[in-house]
Amino acid sequence: MQATPRRPVAPRVMRGMLLFCFSALFVLYVAGPVAWLVSSSLQSEAEITAVPPNWLPPSPSLSNFEAIFTAGERQVTYETRRQGDAATGGFLPSGASNLLPSLWNSLTVGIWVAVLNLLLSVTAAYAIAVINFRGRRATLYTVLATRVVPDIALVVPLFLVIRNLGLINSVGALVVTYLAITVPFTIFILISYFEGIPRDLYRAARIDGCGHWGALRHVYLPLSLPALVAALTFAFLTSWNEFVFALVLTQNVEAQTLPIVISGFIMDFTTSFSFVNAAGVIAIIPPVLMAVVFQRYIVSGLTAGAVKG
Amino acid sequence: MARIVCEQLTKRYGASVAVDALDLTIAHGEFMVLLGPSGCGKTTTLNMIAGLEEISGGRMLFDDTDVTFTPPHKREVAMVFQSYALYPNKTVRENIAFPLRLRGTPRAEIERAVEATAAQLEIAHLLHRRPQELSGGQRQRVALGRAIVRQPSVFLMDEPLSNLDATLRLSMRSLIKRLHQNLRATFVYVTHDQAEAMTLADRVAVMRGGLIQQLDTPEAVYARPANTFVAGFLGSPPINLIEGAAEAGAIFARGDFRLPIAVAVEAGRTLTLGLRPEDVSAPGEGLTTIEARVELVSPLGSETHLEVLTVGQVPLTLRVPKEWRAREGETIVFGIDPARLHVFDRTTEARL
Repeated sequence: MQATPRRPVAPRVMRGMLLFCFSALFVLYVAGPVAWLVSSSLQSEAEITAVPPNWLPPSPSLSNFEAIFTAGERQVTYETRRQGDAATGGFLPSGASNLLPSLWNSLTVGIWVAVLNLLLSVTAAYAIAVINFRGRRATLYTVLATRVVPDIALVVPLFLVIRNLGLINSVGALVVTYLAITVPFTIFILISYFEGIPRDLYRAARIDGCGHWGALRHVYLPLSLPALVAALTFAFLTSWNEFVFALVLTQNVEAQTLPIVISGFIMDFTTSFSFVNAAGVIAIIPPVLMAVVFQRYIVSGLTAGAVKG
Repeated sequence: MARIVCEQLTKRYGASVAVDALDLTIAHGEFMVLLGPSGCGKTTTLNMIAGLEEISGGRMLFDDTDVTFTPPHKREVAMVFQSYALYPNKTVRENIAFPLRLRGTPRAEIERAVEATAAQLEIAHLLHRRPQELSGGQRQRVALGRAIVRQPSVFLMDEPLSNLDATLRLSMRSLIKRLHQNLRATFVYVTHDQAEAMTLADRVAVMRGGLIQQLDTPEAVYARPANTFVAGFLGSPPINLIEGAAEAGAIFARGDFRLPIAVAVEAGRTLTLGLRPEDVSAPGEGLTTIEARVELVSPLGSETHLEVLTVGQVPLTLRVPKEWRAREGETIVFGIDPARLHVFDRTTEARL
């Protein structure tokens, strides 16, 4: 057997080094802020504001987190807030006790949005992609047109609608609003995914005895698992991170979500970086967990071998 | 029991008509082949029988039941697709069991039926595999298995052999024929392959432009094609079609090429003459003798194909016994029986 000719060594090394450098830069760019968030959440206020900065915590401490989880038990007033945990710089923000309820609100809204978004989008996308009904294109364009308007332009009209519905300051108001953002986009994504599933599989399922629900359940859902997981993640994250609508539509601990409460810490009399960062770390845990759990479902090639390629 | 009746069956896509007022009755247990080039409406017709295409006009009966608006899963038909259409997320066993599972058949019975079907199709050793681990021929067997496991009274097949290689196609063709003999169910089979149509069909419907051109047994369609389209579609090598005109005394003429024909036609009428490549023989009594120069010889072992140029520069393809030892450049003489010539009107294309 003849040895396969190898490319010269120098360009290969150069290529590898370049790839490594760019990868490293990219990782730094993406992970840098997160690393600082985590690192500073383990530092005291004085350590965070030190110059030069402490990239790694000099004396790591969980006292910021402890402050968050015990904040609910303390009455924070102008007089008492300076008597907070020493690690937080000697004070607690006045909204600190709202943090855990808002975490719960965020989770509730996120889960509802993720689940309802999927239910609504899957059925709509199936209808538009698979069933040939009159007005199908018009429906699709109407749905998509709603996403052409910037969110900020919708804030006031949506506020009026939600207020007139009597839903202001409720978790339901946020769920409804976020669905209006995620559903059109998810429908669009799922339509293209469903249309990529060989039509003959649909035909075979119908012949084998499936109605439309059966075809959806036995063919379209199992074969579009990656898209469904992506849609679920997308909806949850959109809801989890949303700020403007939540700011306008909610007023207190009943319905406020994590971003609103955390931002409140900054607008207090002064800013507690340690407290904000510890809250930030808590805020990124659910999405990270979600990504870890779901990433194994996001694999391609599920339809390989369905029909002659 | 399943007799399929299509009455004035029509399918329109916007302004274009895919199937045009089709009347077709398929008897119980019949093997009906819809034959035609792509775009002739044969698959659309099949899909309408299956319930996969909405019917734009006319109606469809299964026995005496109107199924025009019945969805596919309530029609009790089975279908085999050109693309196999196996569920990629299910194993072979699950694929075959799927139609039974949807019908709520008891588990033990499903198991029995799947095993029996797999044994019949010789795929029992593949039951645990997934479709992507199978070859084309194996996949098509699984697709057949999924169709026969429910023992439906109607089988629909949409070019099931088109994706297979030539050898496999032959063995699968016999398999399908045996299946039909064993099951005695109604088969509707769509193909553009005339050999499949000839070998499998009880009756063939030759289609073009959404219309049935001829509906008859394969032998009759071959022997007496209704028009030049049907004549040209059936037969390999294809029939020789020669354009010319009639002369007085039942003579077909094209320049110096003149042949007596067995049909009375008024002089001057423009004609197309059809001559099957195999309808030539050694010159003899009652035969018209033709002289031609051999241009190309293609020996096939069992027979020989000749491309010749006759007097009057008419090119013909001939299928002759291997004993005819013709050489390129030689002139040969052969005989044609006027009764075996097919005469068509050139304008209407219809047989005369």
